Amino acid sequence: MRDFSYLRATSADDAQKAALQAGAVLLAGGTTLLDLAKCGVTEPETVVDITHLSSLDGIAVDEGGATIGALARMSEVADHREIKAAFPAVSESLSLAASAQLRNMATMGGNLLQRTRCSYFREPGVFAACNKRNPGSGCSAIGGVTRNHAILGTSDACIATYPGDLAVALVAFDATVEIGSRRVPVDDFFLLPGNTPDRETVLEKGDIITAISIPASAAARNSTYLKVRDRQSYEFAAASAAVGLEFEADGRTVRDIRVALGGVATKPWRARAVEQALVGKALDAETVEKASSLAMEGAVSQGGNHYKIELAPRVITRAIEQLGLKVGGLA
Amino acid sequence: MTIMPPRKHGDASDGVVGGRQTRFEGSLKVTGAATYALEYPVENVAHAVLVQSTIPAGRVLNVNAETARAAPGVLLVLTPEDDLGFTVASDWGGNRPENQPYYPLPRHVQFNGQPIVAIVAENREQAFEAAKLVSITYEEAPHVASLDDPNAGEGKLMGNLVFNWGDAEAALAAAPVQIEGTYSTPREYHVAMEPHGLTVKWDGDQITVWEPSQWSHGMARTYSEWFDIPYENVRLISPFIGGGFGSKGAALAHGAVAAFAARKLGRPVKLALTRPQNFTNYGGRAATRQTIRLGATEDGILQAIVHRGASETSTYADWPEQTGAATPILYKVENFSSEHRVVPVNTVTPGALRGPGKNPSSFGIESAMEELAYKLGMDPLELRLKNYADHDYQSGKPWSTRRLREALTEGAEAFGWSRRSHAPRSMRDGRTLIGWGIGCGTFPVLQAPSEALIRVLANGRVEVVSGAIDMGQGTYTVLAQTAAEVFGIPVDQVEVHLGDSRLPGSAIAGGSMLAGSILGAVHKAATAARDELIGLALNDENSPLRDTGANTLTFSEGRIAVPRGEGPSLSLPELMAALGRDEIETRRNTLPDGASAQEHHQAWTTMAKVQGPTMGEYSMHSWCAHFAEVRVDEDFGTVRVSRIVSAFDCGRLYNPRMVESQWRGGIIMGIGQALLEEGLVDMRNGRTVNNNMGDYLVPTNADVPDIQVISVGVPDYGASALGGKGVGEVGIVGVAPAIANAVFHATGKRVRDLPITLEKLI
Amino acid sequence: MTRTIHLSLDINGRRHELDVEPRVTLLDALREHLALTGTKKGCDQGQCGACTCHVDGKRVLSCLTLAAQVEGREITTIEGITGENGDLHPVQAAFIEHDAFQCGYCTPGQIMSAVACIREGHAGSDEEIREYMSGNLCRCGAYNSIVAAVREAAQATVKEKMEVA
Repeated sequence: MRDFSYLRATSADDAQKAALQAGAVLLAGGTTLLDLAKCGVTEPETVVDITHLSSLDGIAVDEGGATIGALARMSEVADHREIKAAFPAVSESLSLAASAQLRNMATMGGNLLQRTRCSYFREPGVFAACNKRNPGSGCSAIGGVTRNHAILGTSDACIATYPGDLAVALVAFDATVEIGSRRVPVDDFFLLPGNTPDRETVLEKGDIITAISIPASAAARNSTYLKVRDRQSYEFAAASAAVGLEFEADGRTVRDIRVALGGVATKPWRARAVEQALVGKALDAETVEKASSLAMEGAVSQGGNHYKIELAPRVITRAIEQLGLKVGGLA
Repeated sequence: MTIMPPRKHGDASDGVVGGRQTRFEGSLKVTGAATYALEYPVENVAHAVLVQSTIPAGRVLNVNAETARAAPGVLLVLTPEDDLGFTVASDWGGNRPENQPYYPLPRHVQFNGQPIVAIVAENREQAFEAAKLVSITYEEAPHVASLDDPNAGEGKLMGNLVFNWGDAEAALAAAPVQIEGTYSTPREYHVAMEPHGLTVKWDGDQITVWEPSQWSHGMARTYSEWFDIPYENVRLISPFIGGGFGSKGAALAHGAVAAFAARKLGRPVKLALTRPQNFTNYGGRAATRQTIRLGATEDGILQAIVHRGASETSTYADWPEQTGAATPILYKVENFSSEHRVVPVNTVTPGALRGPGKNPSSFGIESAMEELAYKLGMDPLELRLKNYADHDYQSGKPWSTRRLREALTEGAEAFGWSRRSHAPRSMRDGRTLIGWGIGCGTFPVLQAPSEALIRVLANGRVEVVSGAIDMGQGTYTVLAQTAAEVFGIPVDQVEVHLGDSRLPGSAIAGGSMLAGSILGAVHKAATAARDELIGLALNDENSPLRDTGANTLTFSEGRIAVPRGEGPSLSLPELMAALGRDEIETRRNTLPDGASAQEHHQAWTTMAKVQGPTMGEYSMHSWCAHFAEVRVDEDFGTVRVSRIVSAFDCGRLYNPRMVESQWRGGIIMGIGQALLEEGLVDMRNGRTVNNNMGDYLVPTNADVPDIQVISVGVPDYGASALGGKGVGEVGIVGVAPAIANAVFHATGKRVRDLPITLEKLI
Repeated sequence: MTRTIHLSLDINGRRHELDVEPRVTLLDALREHLALTGTKKGCDQGQCGACTCHVDGKRVLSCLTLAAQVEGREITTIEGITGENGDLHPVQAAFIEHDAFQCGYCTPGQIMSAVACIREGHAGSDEEIREYMSGNLCRCGAYNSIVAAVREAAQATVKEKMEVA
């Protein structure tokens, strides 16, 4: 790691001022920052430790929804009784991520900002070309080993997968990110790579995520996060789906459905085409399967990741089936 | 805090050879007090890091290290310009080329990730940051990235790996049932939890090396040869090793660099490889490919096996991963032909990884046998039993012991094999397909001479002293049991000192040869010490046992007495006191009597004296049969192993508790090999891109079901002095084909290239 | 020159004073500066669990924690869980009894993780133990025995709580 100076923020204002300095980065859980600093991807001049700010770690749930402080730990939110009840997909996305130790460290705000696992991004000493690290230098991943790369939202400049789980659940349920007084829907918070893959979110220099809020909904209450991966645990998703489902009073017709994908796209991926195809429909296996395949519109294979085009719709289908079976809607 | 009373480590009966004694060094390991190589406190240590090549082949034109030299804390920069003055050390067999220079920081680049520059600084962070400031310009040469590279070619035929008997091609052509398959395994890595690294300290022309080692004497010999100093001037210390699996048997380039830097700077140097460097700086298991053709009669009698295999090696050394190693001995076959080639590619030279040769070989033949079984419509268990080898058809020799039939039948019984439904895809649980498969494994008995020292102290404690090592196999424990048994004392009256090249020489902890070899030496030395004690006790004028009229004495339950318990009995301290002795020391080895000093040195520091499995009258091997159940998600292609039963013939077990742990460990590594593990090489530059534990996946706790292991072995006194055969290697052999066969049974899809990842099944 | 800062770290109930560069991780502070080498470095990148220790009673990875960050927190390492008279913690004893390790390198991390896993209430079934111990890799493959050891220690803890109640 490059030598840096360490500042321990004692108030949010303090933190914000410090974060405005050139070369300053915020340290929350540290699980991404220190990892990337060791890889040489991030070379901060000043590390501003915000972990001692107790004002940002609350979890409040009421009828309207949940507001979760940016510094709440993943494990606390995952195990929070009311979050589990009102937003099972959010809780599951957290418990299925990383390991128990990392979940005790990583914060909610920091988790959103988790950066890609692209091997080429992570090894600057070997692969000089990476538009995410060094804009305009090219993309080493294209034409390389692409098994874990994205099929959706890619560009000629970048095919790196957004690795997180939580944000996938959040984008499905219209959560917003609070940045001081600004509120940005999660879907808008993350940017597609386009020609500027170095810009991953709308955050500007000095911005601090303060909270995440998730509106309550029947779909969120009846939701699940399904994660498929090579290893049973402690691995990023090959493909995952956050799905929430609400039926009409008949118990068969879909009133509201939310579908988002992880592990396959350059940002947490809301699959609106799938949702639109199912709203107002009675669910049966064929309808669900057909609708799920709509999520792959615009998917681009790099060869090594082609399997994701097959896999992702099946993950959606299974997640819907599981929820549908639970409430008895699936014929 | 809850405190439990200290447990006694097993019953008294556990403390003899064959008992289930708990791990002798266990309390050190569970309290963090066991000291691994990089944990020795060494004053004034400087820290070295390596800068690696980023091209796969070519020449270093220039190293610009000026800014690095000026960086904070930097003490020394070594580049290919520096003449380190090394000559090539001996190979495993002890053969050494004359005056051939050795460049651990070479100008000629042979693989991507090769160390080119070393930086030494006051602390590790400073060294790392300075390393980033080094710029190297290269002249690139064409490269071959991997075995799959179109330019790889068919490689070199290894003359010593060609085996033919009968007329395989003719018998195959005449066989009414034939199958053919090409099976491949990828580059695999050891991923020992403790990364490689060392601390080196010079005192004049004496060097101390703290480095994890599977072979303290062999590695000390390499350092002495590199520096052209007497062997006695090197001390390599390695009492605890955080896993080796074949990777820690030899001194490597980073060791040479650290040792040179320490001498040059006149202060100790520590060099810890990063986890990614543990994927690039030494060789894992070579990628392999083999084609097998089997011919059989309609009722499943094998007529011929034709095997053609290849493995990748580096451009500068031939390391064959012998795909034909298990093929000739698993089944009765009168017509056989096998060849193995090595294909040079731009990689670090591959190395030994658990079950070398036998492991990929078994994947080939055991997959092929099940393919034959399905073609015949026959139960794969029945096919295996039908073709049971009554002797070794390769050497023509009888087996010493071979309880593979019992392994198959008792394993099948425990697994419930008879409840199997034969047709693929015929067992399911909702969207989950269930399948069962068998894989057999074998590993040869290797024997090597060893030496040990026994010291009986005045306080009655017995010391076992050996340069052997314990990387978790249980060396400490079984040696303590051996001494405890000979002296009739509890295990906690024994001390065991291991892992130091200054101690008596030992076989390498590799090739499953250590336990059988070192136990023989320890037993011999302990017996000699006991005999000496008996002699003194019966003859010394101060001994209370002198006038008992006995001509021998018994050592039991901590007492020394005349047989049948008449007369006085003494504890060891009492006897030592009566004899007026401070200690009794015996040193014994298992070399032939009259071996010269040079033969001693050669025996401990090279493999020259290792005996293969068929060098005597018999053919000697360990055997196993694995029964695997998999659950495959029909939609996702994900495979989870839900049950494994494995039956082993490893002869007599010196400590079943340790053995079972090793067997399970091998099986779990086999699960990783079958489903997860694969070094992914970027064809454009030959780099292994998943060079870390987040991207090169090894099994987690959640990937592993309860594994039932069964011993069906009987003591084999031809294989070792105390009747055991090798344990550590054989556990992994046959696991991958058992799982691949179960996946076929579940899905109807035959995956012939490991690992069986989900994209191969959806 | 690189900068150093002064830190006071509370480790295993004892205050340690040290001067280190701000970039020094808790893991390196323990191993290289405080001679507490029981905490192991397996990957140094958050992928293996060998460096697990407790901060304010919760299990974390010390390789991805700055030493500076945990000033004022209570740090517990493998050296700090044995009893004052040297008696083994029940999890340590169960690890020996069930032979839940071979080489021993992942073991301190496994044990620190297991102690926390039981405390968190995540040791209710074998399946749960497997999942919640999956952040600690063991290449020797002692997983079956680790599960058995955690199960036994968890049951002993439950039994003890009931007896106290």
